[in-house]
Amino acid sequence: MLSPHVQRELTRIFGEDDVLTSPISCEAYAYDSSPFFAQPEAVVLADSTEEIGQLMELATRHGIVVIARGAGTNLSGGCVPTHGGIVVAMSRMDRILEIDPVNETAWVEPGVTNMALQEAVAAHGYMFAPDPASLKVATIGGNVAECAGGMRGVKFGVTRDHLLALEVVMSDGEVVMLGEGGKYLPGIDVTGLFCGSEGTFGIITKIKVKLTPLAEAVRTMMAVFDSLDKAGDTVSAIIAKGIIPTTLEIMDQVLVRAVDDFLQLGLPREAEAILLIEVDGFAVEVDRQCETIVAICTRLGATRVSRANSEEERKNLWLARRSGNGALGRIKAAYMVQDVTVPRYKLPGMLRLVADIASKYGIVIAQMAHAGDGNLHPHLLYDPYDPDEKQRVEEAAKEIFHAALEEGGTLTGEHGIGIEKLDYMPWAFSQDDLEFMLLVKRALDPQMLLNRGKVLSFAMEES
Amino acid sequence: MGKEYSLQELEKRILRCNRCGTCQDVCPTYRITGNENDVARSRVRLARLVLEGKYQWGEEEQLTANLNACLLCKACVAVCPANVPTDEIVMEARKYTQQRKGLPPFNRIAYRGVFSHNKRLALLTRVIRMYQKSGMNRVVQRSGFLKLLKDWGKAEDLLPPMPAQSLGQMLPDLLRPPASTTLRVVFFAGCAINFFYSRIGAASIRVLQANACQVAVPEVGCCGGPHQSGGDFSEAMRLAKGNIDRVLAQRPDVIVSDCATCSSVLKEYAALLGNDAEYGPRSAEFSAKVRDINELIVEKGWLRDLAPLAGRVSYHDPCHLARGQGITAAPRTILRSIPGLEMVEMREADMCCGGAGSYGALHPDMSRRILDRKMGNFKGTGATILATSCPSCAMQLEYGIRRHGLTASVMHPMELLALSCEKGRAPGAAAQTSGER
Repeated sequence: MLSPHVQRELTRIFGEDDVLTSPISCEAYAYDSSPFFAQPEAVVLADSTEEIGQLMELATRHGIVVIARGAGTNLSGGCVPTHGGIVVAMSRMDRILEIDPVNETAWVEPGVTNMALQEAVAAHGYMFAPDPASLKVATIGGNVAECAGGMRGVKFGVTRDHLLALEVVMSDGEVVMLGEGGKYLPGIDVTGLFCGSEGTFGIITKIKVKLTPLAEAVRTMMAVFDSLDKAGDTVSAIIAKGIIPTTLEIMDQVLVRAVDDFLQLGLPREAEAILLIEVDGFAVEVDRQCETIVAICTRLGATRVSRANSEEERKNLWLARRSGNGALGRIKAAYMVQDVTVPRYKLPGMLRLVADIASKYGIVIAQMAHAGDGNLHPHLLYDPYDPDEKQRVEEAAKEIFHAALEEGGTLTGEHGIGIEKLDYMPWAFSQDDLEFMLLVKRALDPQMLLNRGKVLSFAMEES
Repeated sequence: MGKEYSLQELEKRILRCNRCGTCQDVCPTYRITGNENDVARSRVRLARLVLEGKYQWGEEEQLTANLNACLLCKACVAVCPANVPTDEIVMEARKYTQQRKGLPPFNRIAYRGVFSHNKRLALLTRVIRMYQKSGMNRVVQRSGFLKLLKDWGKAEDLLPPMPAQSLGQMLPDLLRPPASTTLRVVFFAGCAINFFYSRIGAASIRVLQANACQVAVPEVGCCGGPHQSGGDFSEAMRLAKGNIDRVLAQRPDVIVSDCATCSSVLKEYAALLGNDAEYGPRSAEFSAKVRDINELIVEKGWLRDLAPLAGRVSYHDPCHLARGQGITAAPRTILRSIPGLEMVEMREADMCCGGAGSYGALHPDMSRRILDRKMGNFKGTGATILATSCPSCAMQLEYGIRRHGLTASVMHPMELLALSCEKGRAPGAAAQTSGER
């Protein structure tokens, strides 16, 4: 419980209506899209950098943990307040401050949704390349904090590759501007440190992103396979041919059926796997790429390859892909979704391995992947009221993490470490690596107030 | 809306929500406040915490308040990848809450007390009309008495001017058997149409008759929609049975309503009474015959002998029509068929107007903030006619027009169609697109 003094101070800073302390109102901020829950002691709805500056001064004075929160769509528990404290909701700081088409940049507040930014810059012929599946609601602040990727990651990279500058409130309340030089930044890339730091280094209050011109032409295809293996091999073959599609996504039968139940699009429910492939560029170029891709798919055993014939068909295919996570609620009430990555050419083997692990533990694992990037998204489904099944899911998850690391991969491509992968950090990194990360954390947040217990375990922080 | 669940069925639906957060994109209350207490997934989460035993229905005032703040607009249901029926979950939650705590005063007085009884509603309408006509309303408004009533006092602004005659009183002059009949239609005159918006009901009946429908208007009770949204399913079932008896006695080919809420509720009588031994099959027969009036007119086709109307119109989708019945094209098709009328889409045309039945009276501040967004979108079109197919929306939108000092009028597509149609058949007769009251 926060002391009455701290509560009064919060009210002074944010106004009475924007400070939530009752247990019921805190329930709405006790979760994200991961299977973790923990109640904060208070929630504040922020409207300005100044308010957040004052909040951090107060937090530093009283040693209170602070957790920044965007849309709360994290998949690894990144904004679940496991150590109590104050959640600062950024949802109201949602203004697009400037779009500069000449320099191909935009300044936004952290609560702007990815979709709002996409729509605003599309009017100028641009896009913001990172496009996480949750883009309709996920915020740019969250995208930066988690270093979000997305379907276009295979061609355009992740948020790190599109971040230019940040305004950040440091743990003691100081407001700093990082990387204002834009693209050509002399000195140490401090801005880069904050990307993917999961809110543990500072609270981001303004963001300058790089914009990418929209391509002249886009072609979207769906290839249908009667085995997951063939689909995986096709991915490798496309990449080996030197084609980098804008997106190259794989979905297995469980997912195809779940989203088709939702959207009733007539997706191929009998397929063991489908590939969603999009290429963009100049019109002449994309048609040639399309032909090559269709030929590869057919050669490797696709039972059908179809092209989206209209913008509506194209939108529906992507809506299907983006609805994957939520649609799985139809099958089981809970899931753990991983985002392990492996080197591209090892993707087919890894998909097989995950399928084998599913049968070994007798659980359902729905698989999709940003296949072109070697970024797997196995969804381990379970009933939260069945402790035995939950146990088996945890064992299977462990085995997948282990296998990915063995293959030279990483724990996470874009969802972050959060709470979910804390235990596996020592598998992925040496003690020296972890201690170095801790050194950086201590330099920026000596009291360990910012999103305590995420990325690095608190036990380690304390020691 | 439509049926009661067993506790197991309710739990199954609640568990489908895996908190993906897609509802944030469309939930009107969340879009207005940016507070996650006001978003669908958090309402579903609270219901789950009650089922898990952490809280009890009705014991936590704020839990009840959060669930009551839902507009039941179904915007989240339409985009939810797991089809979590948040509106139905909220109605169930309200039901359990009132089972423990009794009916809230508003529901007891307004719904069971007035809307369940036509005579009382008729009397109330007359009293309100007297109050408005006598100028007493201005005296009361100046006196500051309404401020003493707090939120209840704010409800006074919402009321539209009461018409001189209810639809029931207008019927003797209105009902004219058409020369040739293609359909026997029962016009279901809902409470709001009958008493507050008899002009809309009259227009609908004239359009039906002009298009070769033989119209009967039996006396019916409230559709039960308000009761259901408050979680009062037993009263809703009682009303449904009465309506089924009275309407089916007329042996109609079609049952039609020009109120989006009524038609959506009537279509779901089959689900509401599905397990009732006596009324199960009859409710199925009933519901299968129900059409929204726009839907019926487009289905059967309409006289295109229409005179031009001048003006620019924009259409607001009622929740109970767009998502409740999946009808968005029919009213637009009708409006576009009227020569001279320029149709302009507003942004977020299908976002709730904040009216939501009694929501405007019970949650004045939230309701007004949602309304302000709607009016902003309407202003952006430069239209002078705001068309909508639901009297509850019309009430809220007319209030919005007064509140924002606009000169636009709110009209049902049937009012515009009736005007154009009658002007077309009586050349020389001057008709105005706006201002017909």
